[in-house]
Amino acid sequence: MTARYPDISDIIARKAAGRRAAARRSFGEEIAAVEALRERVEPLKQAREAARAKAKARR
Amino acid sequence: MTTTRMGDTVRVLNRLRAEGVIGPYAIAGAVAAFRHVEATLTEDLDLLVSLQAAGGSGLVSIAPILDRLRELGYAEFRMEGVVIEGWPVQFLPVASALDAEAVEQAEDVEIPTSLEGISEPTRALRAEHVVAKAVELGRSKDFIRIHQYLEENAVDIDALRAVLERHGLKDKWRSFCMRTGVTDPIFR
Repeated sequence: MTARYPDISDIIARKAAGRRAAARRSFGEEIAAVEALRERVEPLKQAREAARAKAKARR
Repeated sequence: MTTTRMGDTVRVLNRLRAEGVIGPYAIAGAVAAFRHVEATLTEDLDLLVSLQAAGGSGLVSIAPILDRLRELGYAEFRMEGVVIEGWPVQFLPVASALDAEAVEQAEDVEIPTSLEGISEPTRALRAEHVVAKAVELGRSKDFIRIHQYLEENAVDIDALRAVLERHGLKDKWRSFCMRTGVTDPIFR
């Protein structure tokens, strides 16, 4: 039996359109976007550092 | 209206420039690349900075910059950079003819500050110099950046060829193409 998978070409197309829109941003808008991203990523980074420290302590 | 903290960082850098603590400078690395290709997360702001050698010795030091920044209240270090208004800033002294050319030919840009409607002027590397520096450094993340420029047609190939030839980077460029499986669009 052949596995059937959904067609996700519309999702891929939307992502490509999003990337094209992002590429049209001004330099200032790019910087603002990255600053916002840095803030969102910070908790993940802290969790990663904590996990590393924990693993190191266990060794 | 767009606001950023980096604009505040640049205001401090421009103050250092006005005071003669640093010479001409330009934004390099990932932030310079934001102008040309899709932005990627970066932790710091790289600056190529012209510094005077101490007493004609040929040695440059960033100590006077750090001293002045400390006086201005910026003494925290993160990611090997001194934190200025939230951004760790790495001062990379001009150390080659490529660096000097990159700073000299950098383009004027404006960065919005945290105050709405107020921008700070600065300079950032041209696309061909960002790519040439990536070729020179040759780390994995530099190769990814070069790929981005090529895929997004974000660098003038003739301008890049001239920079690579002028600064003896042809072999490193060929090595990048070979290692990453890119069909060489320049020296074929």
